[in-house]
This record gives sequence, structure tokens and C-alpha cells, in this order.
Amino acid sequence: MTEPLGDEPILSVRNLKKHYPITEGVLSREVGAARAVDGISFDLHPGETLGLVGESGCGKSTAASSIIRLEEATDGEVIFNGGDRWGRRPEDGSHPNDVTRFDDEELMSFRRDAQMIFQDPSSSFDPRMSVGASVAEPLMVHGMNDKTQRREIVEDLLERVGLSADDYERYPHEFSGGQKQRIALARALVLNPELIVADEPVSALDVSIRAEILSLISDLQDEFGLSMLFISHDMSVIREVCDRVAVMYLGEIVEIGDAEDVFSDPQHPYTEALLSAIPTPDPRTDRKDIELRGTVPSPTDPPDGCRFHTRCHRVIQPADIDMVQEHWRSLLNFRDQAAAGGIDVESAREVVRVEAEGEEPSDAAVKEEIRSEFELPESLSDAAAEETLDESLDLLLAGDEAAASERLGSAFTTPCEQSDPELTDHGDGHRSACLLHDADQESQDIAAADD
Amino acid sequence: MATDDQARFDQTDWEEIDESVDHGLSANTKVVLAGLVPLVLLYAYDYTLVGQYEPTFGFVGWGYSVTQLDWLFALSLLLFGAYGALPLYQAPRMTKYYWGEFKRNRPAVVSLAFLAGIFTMGLLGPLVISPPETDILIPYQPPLGFTIGMESVVECAGPVTEAGGQRVCHGSLAHPFGTTGSGKDIFRSVVYGMQITMKIAFITTLIVVTIGSAVGTVAAYGGGMVDEILMRYVDIQQSFPTFIAYLLILYIFGGGIALFILLFGLFSWEGTARYVRSNALAKVEEEYVKATQLTGASTYHIVRRHLVPNTASSIITDVTLLIPAFILFEAQLAFLGLGDSTIPSWGQVLAGGRDALPYAPWVTLIPGLFIFFTILAFNFLGDALLDALNPQAEAESE
Repeated sequence: MTEPLGDEPILSVRNLKKHYPITEGVLSREVGAARAVDGISFDLHPGETLGLVGESGCGKSTAASSIIRLEEATDGEVIFNGGDRWGRRPEDGSHPNDVTRFDDEELMSFRRDAQMIFQDPSSSFDPRMSVGASVAEPLMVHGMNDKTQRREIVEDLLERVGLSADDYERYPHEFSGGQKQRIALARALVLNPELIVADEPVSALDVSIRAEILSLISDLQDEFGLSMLFISHDMSVIREVCDRVAVMYLGEIVEIGDAEDVFSDPQHPYTEALLSAIPTPDPRTDRKDIELRGTVPSPTDPPDGCRFHTRCHRVIQPADIDMVQEHWRSLLNFRDQAAAGGIDVESAREVVRVEAEGEEPSDAAVKEEIRSEFELPESLSDAAAEETLDESLDLLLAGDEAAASERLGSAFTTPCEQSDPELTDHGDGHRSACLLHDADQESQDIAAADD
Repeated sequence: MATDDQARFDQTDWEEIDESVDHGLSANTKVVLAGLVPLVLLYAYDYTLVGQYEPTFGFVGWGYSVTQLDWLFALSLLLFGAYGALPLYQAPRMTKYYWGEFKRNRPAVVSLAFLAGIFTMGLLGPLVISPPETDILIPYQPPLGFTIGMESVVECAGPVTEAGGQRVCHGSLAHPFGTTGSGKDIFRSVVYGMQITMKIAFITTLIVVTIGSAVGTVAAYGGGMVDEILMRYVDIQQSFPTFIAYLLILYIFGGGIALFILLFGLFSWEGTARYVRSNALAKVEEEYVKATQLTGASTYHIVRRHLVPNTASSIITDVTLLIPAFILFEAQLAFLGLGDSTIPSWGQVLAGGRDALPYAPWVTLIPGLFIFFTILAFNFLGDALLDALNPQAEAESE
């Protein structure tokens, strides 16, 4: 357990993928896959806490269960260097410590070194088992047959997590959510692991209890030198406990770096948006509230290029277009809605009719209504774009949705949907995947070449 | 806080823990083994050394030949004790909690007492009460407090009075529930019938619960092909005409209550399996199952330690509905003359009295009332157990 690891990370995730096949028909023909986790990579160093943050459905929890091998990963490597597995197996092409290739015996020993805390304290304990028995269960599974030894260990642990030894005999329904999460922590610790994966451990708790549990987690982490992968959708929780942060969006990591750097100087627009959602206690501070419109696209059919471009507030304008950034965003939303056939001209006409008290509305008024619905200005600052938009609105009003969509689609494209951004380094391991930085990088490279 | 010699989680040397060391039998297994060994020995003794109709315990002076059904009954009682009663004793806190929930339902408490009475009487009664015997001199004796005209009876065991020029026979303590047309004492028949009812209840429960919960939980946890094969088999078996098979076997080979219990026990677990599966499917998604998987526990461990106990409430409720169905079905078959006429089951006694219904209704009524109240008690019990064992269901229904 005290094997010197040096600079070697305890956990290295390399291009991990987890796809859920979507099948159809009696023969279960595979027609596609939900790409819940689509190639994520990161390192976790001993004693460190890495936060994995992102909104619901972005694949954080799937990543966690694939890493800890509750589910089999589709592709990629999870290299776990904890325990005393240090070159235990000769190299045979695959990494000797690749969790996804562990056999039963190695997996059993991995189970002792990596444990998990779950989100919902109400369902994480068997209601028919005393909590002591639940905490002692891992010991039993791993072959500790001495009943008194098991009980001593569990009672000691219960005290360490802030409960009393007498609680051994009590049942889950006799505890509050916060207490249950303490017990969950005890269960995760009972095998003396080196890595703990905490999947939203405090999101089901009251704010008042949250802080207690978080400080307990960090105390225990310091005392036993635990490394932790901390998953949360809540940036303020991440800020409190994490040394480093990885931001996930739709199965990919879009930004990763030291917590300080990421919070003070977010590089990816999505991180910016997440950070702007943290409430600030000071009402006088001037904060930019970035509202992400729309929902997370389906992982079965992720958008081309940068996956965030459908919602990004800083989506790049092509070279020949120059307008206010917000209008560009609105324009792209309008284009996407038109392509999806989601623009209801009739209801817009109805709205205008009601406002005009029954008079037959003019086309201009309807166009204005549609524009305001999509937060488009009365007139775009870019003349060519304005012309295209106006034409397509005319087509829409004439009922030719396909032509309108075609017109918009050919005129307005963003580089974001054409190329996949690479991770760019901002120093100190702070990296992000955004074409904005690619562009910066290129211009810098060009500048450097000119010199 | 931890003392120096106290075991601590971070001082466990897992290399030293040898997993091959004996896993230590659980208390339940010990009880089962302790009971099973003498049971098997006695059975072997009865099967090889004692003649079929000779009393098994002749050596202690008990003149009773133990039947196959009795052995099964003993086995089911043993398993019930080890896996039903013992866990309640082992987890007093949980038992107290369940009892607190259960006793809020008054009718269920009364039902439990009634069924406990039937169980005890049925188990011990036949040991002290001799079996009902035919006595053609005293047919249709009325129960205590009832009367019958002397023209219906040959002799009257109780006092005889004159009323309006007619001699009337009164019931007496000699036959508190009266007698049947062949002069069999109804009270004794009812007590012997209790044992048969309990045999039906326990043995079918044993068969149905064992197979049904095993198939249901394994199908739910295994998923995929396992689920598919098991549940399609359940579909096939559900379409099997058990009743016709029963008639066929009855007419070709003959058969008694043992055939009834085994056949209907083995062919009626499909509903339980289905019900258990649907419940277990919900439990499989619970985080505690994931947490247990994460400890590296085997499938058997997860099914046995988590899925079965957590679907137990659904199994119990299902069984409390199944048992009345069996009792009623046995009575129906007996009434139709398709039952085992050699045993004094309630159904047989009831069927024997149908011709005398106009002048001796008690022959039908008394066993009928026992059947009625037993079934009612099982239903009340099932209802209360569902609420007590599964607090969520109650919360949802409110």
C-alpha cells in the first residue's frame, strides 16, 4: 500500500468510450449507439481530487461506472497503478494495469483498492439489512470470516465518520440522508481503498448538511491519503473540494485543468456558462449571466464538429459575416429550428391577429413576431445576412419551409460545425477543446513563422 | 475512539486473509442441517426397515404410520423455521418494527391468532385426539345447543326431550360439533382437517416459494438470455392444464391428497415467479445492488442476500393469496367427489353433508365456516403483511 508512486498517476484514463447499442426488431439488429462516453482521457494523481463536472446526461456517471468497471467499457484503457500492482504482469501489448482487461482475481483485488459512493442515500442501503451488516458486507465478500474482527472494524469506522458504534444494529430507515451518506462513506472505506469515486455524493442532500459531508470527505481524504474522482453537476461543490477539474459535455472532456485556473480563467465557453450559473452572495458584483438555450443534444446523434456549437454563446462567425455575437447565435438557432421544421408560422400569425384585435395581419408584422420569438433584431447589422434572412422569412410565410431551410443552411455556416476542436494547452496542464483557441494558436503560429 | 488492540480498517492486511478458510455456516444453515440430518435418517429408517402400514414410531409406542406427506410437511416446517422464524429472532429490531407496523391492523392480528390456533391444533390435536370413527348408531347428532327430531337419529348421545308430542334429540358435550351421517364426530374431523389444511398450506408454499422466487430473481438479475429462457418456460407452463392432468392421473393411477399437493404445487409457481421477477427488476436497479457488485460479490450472494430478502414482501403477499386458493380448490374437488375420500379434510366432511342439508345443516356448515374463516384470515394477513413489510406500498396507496 505504501508503494512509492512518484509522479506516476494512480489512475490514467485513456480514450475511454462507452457506447450503448440501440437495437431494433426481433433479431436485435444494431441500428446505432448512444455514445454516452466518447473518448475521454485524464490522469488522477495520488492524493488528488479530480472533479468531473457537466450537466445531467453528459455521461459523467457512465464514465464513473466504466472506470470502476461496474459496466464494461466499449473501448479505451483505464490504467490503475494503485495497490502494489506495479508491473505485475509482463507487457503483452496491453498495459499491465488496465482495469478493463483485469481477470477475476485481479478485479477482486482492484475492488479492494477502488470503491464508490453513490448519489442517492435512500437507495444505497439494503433496507432489510442493518447498516453495520451493510458496511461489513465487503469484508465478508473478501473473505474475512472473523465476525468480531469485522464488527470491530465497522464500529471503529462508524465512529470515524461521525456516528456511534451503537448504530451498528440500526436500520437504514432510522437515519437521515446526511447520516446515510456518512455510512456510505464508511462502506466505501472499509476495504481501505486508495481511490474513491464519488458520484454526486452531496446533490441529494440539504445545503446545510452538504458542507458537513464535504468537510468529512476532505478530512478522511487527508488522513488516509485517498485519491478521489468527484463527480458533480454543481460547480460550487466542485470548487470546494477539487484540486483539478474536468468539464464534460456530451461524452467528451472540453476543458481540464487546475481548479484555480479553470475557475479564475475558464477557457471553454461551456465552462464559462457553468461558472456563470454559480450564485454569488454579493448582489453588487457585476456578473455576466450566460444562458444556455436548448437542451443537451442526444448522444445517439451528437452534432458534427464541436459538439457544443448548437448552444455555444461564442459560436464563431465565418470570415464573411460580421454581426453582433448574440444575433449570430439567434440566427443559428433560427436556422436549426427551420431545418428541424420547428417554426410555426401559423401560431405567429395567430398571435399577431389577437394583438391586432382580429384584423388580418400583414406579412411584415408576422415576420417581426417570428424575429422576436427567436430574439432576432429588426435588422441584422450585416447587410448580406439581413437580406438572406428576410428572403427566407418570406419563403417561410409562403409556406415553403424546405426552401427557407435550404437558403439559411447554405448562407449561414459556422466553422464550429465543420471541424473538431483539438485540446489546446494554456499552460500548467490547463487544456481546453475550442476552435477559438485553435484560431488563436494558428494566428500565433503564423506570427511566430513571420518572425 | 479506537483503542490500540481494536481492529481497524486501514490495518487489515488482505494478503493474510485466506479466502479458502471455511466460510462459516450461517445460523440458518446450521438449523436446517441440524433438522435435516435426523429427518433424513428417520425417513431412511421408515423407508427401509418399517413396513408401509406399520407404525413408524412403534418402538416408542406411537401407533402412527408416517406418510410421505408427513415427511414433506416436516421438511417445510423445518425450512419455515430456519428461513422464516429464525431471521425474525436474529434481527429483533427489525422484528419489533415490523410487529409495530403489523399490529396497527386489528383484523390481521385476530387473523394471525386464529391461524396460529388452527396451526397448533392441527399439529398437536391429532396426537391427543383419536381419529373420527364411524358409528352407525349415532348419525346426525346435533352440535351443542341444537336439536334434531329423533326420527333422524338412531340413538341420541345427549338428553332427549318431548316437545309438542315429538321426541327431540339435543346436542351434548360428547359430540360438541355433532356427527356426520355415518356417525363420525365432526369436532375430531375438523381437528384432523386442520392438519390437512396446514399441510396443503405449508407444502405448497414450500414448493411455490422455492421455485417461484428462485426463477423470478435469477431471471431479473441475470437478464438477457437467462431471463428470456426462464420466462418463456413460465409461459409454457402457465398454459399447462393442471386440472386435466390431475383428473387423468386420478383415473389412471388413482391418487390422494399427496398427488393434489405435489401436482398443484409444482404447476402453480408461474404467477409467483412472474410477480417476483417484476419486483426484483426494480430492486436490481437500486444502488445497494450496485454497491454490492462493486465489492466483487458473486451473483449468488447478491440474489440470496439482497434480491430475495427484498422481494420477500411480494413473495409473502403472493403466497397468502395462493394458499386460500389451494384450500378452496381442495374443498371444491372434494365436493365434486374428486378428492381423497380417505382423509377427513374439511372439503370431504362438507361434501359428505350435502344430502342432509335440510335437516342436519351443521355437517356442511361447520367445516364450511372453518374454510371460510381460514381463507378470510389468510387474506387479512396478506394485506397487513404487505403494508408492514413494504412501507413504500402503503405510502403510495395513501
